[in-house]
Amino acid sequence: MDPKRPPYPGPPGVTRIPWMQSVEDQGQPPDQPPLGRARGLVLPKDEPLPGRGRALGVPGEMPVRFGRGITQPVSEPSVGIPRGVRLPIEEGAFGRGFLLPTPEPTVGMGRGTAVGPVPTLAIEKSDVKGKMPDLQTELAPAIAKVEAPGPGSSLVSMFRGLGIEPGKTWGRGSTPIGRGAAGDMGADVQPKPAIVGAAALTPQREETRLEESLSFLGRGFVGVGRAALPHMSVSRGPIGPVSPIPVPFSLPSATSVSEEAPIPPGTPPKVEVKIETVKEPLQKMGTKGSPVSIGSNYIPICCKNDAVFQYHVTFNPNVESLGMRFGMMKEHRPTTGEVVAFDGSILYLPKRLEEVVHLKAERKTDNQEIDIKIQLTKILPPSSDLCIPFYNVVLRRVMKLLGLKLVGRNHYDPNAVVILGKHRLQVWPGYSTSIKHTDGGLYLVVDVSHKVLRNDSVLDVMNLIYQGSRESFQDECTKEFVGSIVITRYNNRTYRIDDIEWSKSPKDTFTLADGTVTTFVDYYRKNYGITIKELDQPLLIHRPKERSKPGGKVITGEILLLPELSFMTGIPEKMRKDFKAMKDLTMHINVGAEQHTQSLKQLLHNINSNNEAVSELARWGLSISQEILVTQGRTLPSETICLHSASFVTSPSVDWSREVVRDPSISTVPLNCWAVFYPRRATDQAEELVSTFTRVAGPMGIRIERPIRVELRDDRTETFVKSIHSQLTSEPRVQLVVCIMTGNRDDLYSAIKKLCCIQSPVPSQAINVRTISQPQKLRSVAQKILLQINCKLGGELWTVNVPLKYLMVIGVDVHHDVSKKSRSVMGFVASLNSMLTKWYSRVTFQMPHEEIINGFRVCLLAALQKYYEVNHAFPEKIVIYRDGVSDGQLKTVELYEIPQVLKCFETIPNYEPKLAFIVVQKRISTTLYSYGSDHFGTPSPGTVLDHTVTNRDWVDFYLMAHSIRQGCGLPTHYIAVYNTANLTPDHLQRLTFKMCHLYWNWPGTIRVPAPCKYAHKLAFLSGQYLHSEPAIQLSEKLFFL
Amino acid sequence: MTTPFSPPLYMQRYQFVIDYVKTYRPKKVIDFGCAGCCLLKKLKFHRNGIQLLVGVDINSVVLLKRMHTLAPLVSDYLQPSDGPLTIELYQGSVTEREPCTRGFDLLTCVELIEHLELAEVERFTEVVFGYMAPGAVIVTTPNAEFNPLLPGLRGFRNYDHKFEWTRAEFQTWANRVCQEYGYSVHFTGVGEAVGHWRDVGFCTQIAVFQRINQAVSNAELLEPSVYRLVYKVVYPSLSDNNIYQRTLVNEVLYEAQHLRQEWLRKMNMDSNNNAHFYAPPLMDVFHHGVEVDARYWQPVYQQGGTVCVPLARVWSSPRVRALCGSLQRLREELVVDARVRMSADGTVLNLPVYDEEEEAEEEKDEEENVKTVSGIGNNMEEDWDRDLGSYESV
Repeated sequence: MDPKRPPYPGPPGVTRIPWMQSVEDQGQPPDQPPLGRARGLVLPKDEPLPGRGRALGVPGEMPVRFGRGITQPVSEPSVGIPRGVRLPIEEGAFGRGFLLPTPEPTVGMGRGTAVGPVPTLAIEKSDVKGKMPDLQTELAPAIAKVEAPGPGSSLVSMFRGLGIEPGKTWGRGSTPIGRGAAGDMGADVQPKPAIVGAAALTPQREETRLEESLSFLGRGFVGVGRAALPHMSVSRGPIGPVSPIPVPFSLPSATSVSEEAPIPPGTPPKVEVKIETVKEPLQKMGTKGSPVSIGSNYIPICCKNDAVFQYHVTFNPNVESLGMRFGMMKEHRPTTGEVVAFDGSILYLPKRLEEVVHLKAERKTDNQEIDIKIQLTKILPPSSDLCIPFYNVVLRRVMKLLGLKLVGRNHYDPNAVVILGKHRLQVWPGYSTSIKHTDGGLYLVVDVSHKVLRNDSVLDVMNLIYQGSRESFQDECTKEFVGSIVITRYNNRTYRIDDIEWSKSPKDTFTLADGTVTTFVDYYRKNYGITIKELDQPLLIHRPKERSKPGGKVITGEILLLPELSFMTGIPEKMRKDFKAMKDLTMHINVGAEQHTQSLKQLLHNINSNNEAVSELARWGLSISQEILVTQGRTLPSETICLHSASFVTSPSVDWSREVVRDPSISTVPLNCWAVFYPRRATDQAEELVSTFTRVAGPMGIRIERPIRVELRDDRTETFVKSIHSQLTSEPRVQLVVCIMTGNRDDLYSAIKKLCCIQSPVPSQAINVRTISQPQKLRSVAQKILLQINCKLGGELWTVNVPLKYLMVIGVDVHHDVSKKSRSVMGFVASLNSMLTKWYSRVTFQMPHEEIINGFRVCLLAALQKYYEVNHAFPEKIVIYRDGVSDGQLKTVELYEIPQVLKCFETIPNYEPKLAFIVVQKRISTTLYSYGSDHFGTPSPGTVLDHTVTNRDWVDFYLMAHSIRQGCGLPTHYIAVYNTANLTPDHLQRLTFKMCHLYWNWPGTIRVPAPCKYAHKLAFLSGQYLHSEPAIQLSEKLFFL
Repeated sequence: MTTPFSPPLYMQRYQFVIDYVKTYRPKKVIDFGCAGCCLLKKLKFHRNGIQLLVGVDINSVVLLKRMHTLAPLVSDYLQPSDGPLTIELYQGSVTEREPCTRGFDLLTCVELIEHLELAEVERFTEVVFGYMAPGAVIVTTPNAEFNPLLPGLRGFRNYDHKFEWTRAEFQTWANRVCQEYGYSVHFTGVGEAVGHWRDVGFCTQIAVFQRINQAVSNAELLEPSVYRLVYKVVYPSLSDNNIYQRTLVNEVLYEAQHLRQEWLRKMNMDSNNNAHFYAPPLMDVFHHGVEVDARYWQPVYQQGGTVCVPLARVWSSPRVRALCGSLQRLREELVVDARVRMSADGTVLNLPVYDEEEEAEEEKDEEENVKTVSGIGNNMEEDWDRDLGSYESV
């Protein structure tokens, strides 16, 4: 199989997609299985949950090869073979589950639950029939023992407990074999590892096509993962006529497969070697739209080794010191070979030693002879997750060999630096690289990265600030520096400044690791030959995250840095506001697809033409392809935008800025009473704006009266605030406050917003005088502002059709203050009507480290209540788009947030809505390119990629909804963490794309679903300017736009 | 073996070399047996005018592993140093003659000779003092007389030591070297014993050799013929003319730009009598706190569409001045640079009054064609609920 082009499993066609078949077709009534707590946790019978579904997908070469290698003769006795099948087959969803009492009870040992899927061929049915017999002999049945927990106990959490691979949930179809981490399961649950499956992974018979067996295997999991039945249904029945009947077949040998449970006494003391198999991919591929060739910044990595061997190393008598352990192991390189990854007790080698190896070493301190026992514990496929960390170490070494500099986490090329002398900064081009194991296999993910470094030290900038404002010097410094990243002069380390220590100076002392006390001045002079010039500078504080080093040493406390020796990094705040300067900069940073792929190819070329780099990789049998991944994605169908009466299909550039100002919006709010505030200097512009408003309002369907005009004698903040306040008091009918400001003035903006969003709630519009100063542009600017005003007043601009009834879409985003001093703010926006044109918004503040979910529940309940008021019913389906969750937090979301959300529904009697919880990730390293005739470009809006580069643990996809004007195709990553709404991958993808059309501040598609963007706007406004929750009166208006 | 010294003895040895470099300021330094490159790394910080820093070790694995610690730091690129620095690492033996190693100002052998067999010491002596003939040599080695004071020590201090000399033995060897190869030597050490043990001498004994005949042997800039070059890096420095020119021009343009903006703002202020005219945050407007020499204070002025910034004003910036010793030199440097626009007489820098017109959101092209036919679109009514199955109990 050519790794460059992962197999695209056949042309998308409904017939091949089992879950696209309607229930009726399958000829089985959708029985509702007996549920403890229905609420949709249960999989209604046969359709696999989308989201938990299994992909037909992309098998990837290694599982097969590997699997085949390990399967042992079927005749061997196996552990945990079903002895009794207690199986009420008549139960709907339970149809083909088995409850198998397992031989020995293991208490509290959560281990990989065995799942051997029942043969189900979802592909052409006739085919299936023909093949069934073969398969039945070939495949092991599903086995799992779960002692039925008491009613009411949360099976969901139990299943989570069954997590097989560390960090992977069972339901997700993680590998049934081989690994298994003790989960946190309830005491009453004693799942038994009964193992199977190896055979399923090994299509030894030629007639079993790989894809089929995989897809079928997948279905086996579906029922498991999510069906929270009191009776566990493990393997799933097939669709249609095939009636699978699983009688315990002889299991493929379990000895070679996972059995991590302690060996019961009596068995021979031979430690079993576990073989890690590759888990099955999830069903996550959609079919809608037209296929397109898509490139991505993923480079296939080929593993030449057959396996990586994991050993456990014990020292007897015990050797505490890690350094000593390393040293002793080093002496035995003749045995282990030069290629080792050793952390002090776990050893990985690319070669196989004897099962148990004993070595001798002498402890230098006391001449004690130490016995080193190296025991083979696992045989891993070379793409195992356990290998990824040391592959990444190898990768870092390779980057160094290429002469790239590590700054922060990325590598940069000092020889290709772009110097922007005018701004005293340098742009370092480079790469962020990592090795990942995705649905398609092992990949090197390379992103082009740029580091902005400044020629100025922190001290230089401090001096400038001081010359500017002596009085507020310290405040200004805090504002400028806290939260920014500096790089020190004497090493390449970067530090985030958390605070400034004004009471200390370089003349102060600190204690070195060896206990000696020295001043900063002496320290830098002695160690780095640096003479500190400014003796009165304050010190910068960096507070590292508490973490423990291997060996248990906890790193804590503060790191003090000298401003003089710290260079600023990143784009200066002042520069961000400077349009022209940013243009200079983004010219270098925003590289287009062509340039992006060029840089990638250059790196690949450099790696592959560097002998040292190649041999470094080869030590672990790795080789990196020369070619960028090209595979098949889809462009989702264009959407129809509906205005009041006009509707139109979006153009390829997804831009309808002209239509929205030409045709009436869905609904408009007449502007009968509104006020404009402007300083005297801006009188002309204000007049012009108002008259332009009246001219352009008509076509949009907006009725607009003459405003109350308030000319201010100056543009001081107090002047604005006072006049607005007195106006609002004297004329309570005012619907809208418009302020024309001179310059970018955060303080004034903040004051106006505080007044109009909290104190006297009224929609407000602030306009920078510059934006309305160019007569030739005034018309289009006025149109845009007017549309924005209409939204703020509660008008509706446009929508797209979402064919789901009683749907509520929620967007959540969190705004963190950079200086981390203040609280984070969660913005919450929920749709209230079926057209998705009415939005309810709330904000909650939380202390650092406080869980977001507490505030979330309040908002959700309020939104449900409001929905009820509007629709006289609660939503049946709720789709939550949650922004701002990193990969590492996905588990928390799944295990903690979602149960809380579900609990929230319980407070409403007889209410069990379906829920889809989708995490939205914008900051990702994945880039998509269009690919055609050997040329990379930017993909068109609506491009979706839902295989190969996707995450093996979740149902996820990459969608690029927006149109790209500059730079590269950066898609957004969507992860369906939870989905009882049974939305298929197609539904998830298209719903998401539809939602990206609904952001009313932009007549086109945007990167994220509109509710997320609204939530972001709201959280930003509240966190940055209001510092408090906006008035509840505004909660049904998009006042924050 | 724990060292009872503070700072640790190895640090004191390095410090000794650093102090020597500080005093004698050698330009070319070679370290034999550099192993983990610790001394080189220290010297790279404590340069004191070193221009060429070479490390030699017989073990290339350790060199390969540690060589990246000698690479320039990010800050070396941000603020290139004045003097040049090249660092090279070779794999090779101290007992072999390598033409590249001749003509150094200082050669260091920190705790090296005791790892050689005595016969090798002979060859080493001949190669170092006879063939390479550096201006100075620092040799450190354990003082065997000190060993009884080291707690728990049996035999040599390290299993790989082939010998450990007493002071007399070391000095005999050193004096013979001086006689044979024309060097003078003085003995010292680091790690002093305390109290009545003082007379055992230093824990580490050090010999500093100076060549008596100071005739400089010609540096032979050859490709290594015996040793193998493992690593070489040239540090960015202002002695590289391109880097110098670039740095200077950037500073000049930055300064000129700043003066121009300050001037424009002042003009703007004067023309606007609004007392509360908003001044942007400080980072925009700043004044160099440096007292400007009155001689160089010439006004910025406008001429047509050009703001004229006198070169003298630019030169009075401390950064520019540090780079360029005289106004005359500055003028010469800038005249040849295409990035700078100067008046004919070279006294004034010309900058445009207006930045290029800011691009606003470009207006949409007329030809953009958006289908606006109502009603077409998804001709099929979709109903996802139906797709999703019949459990919808509505």
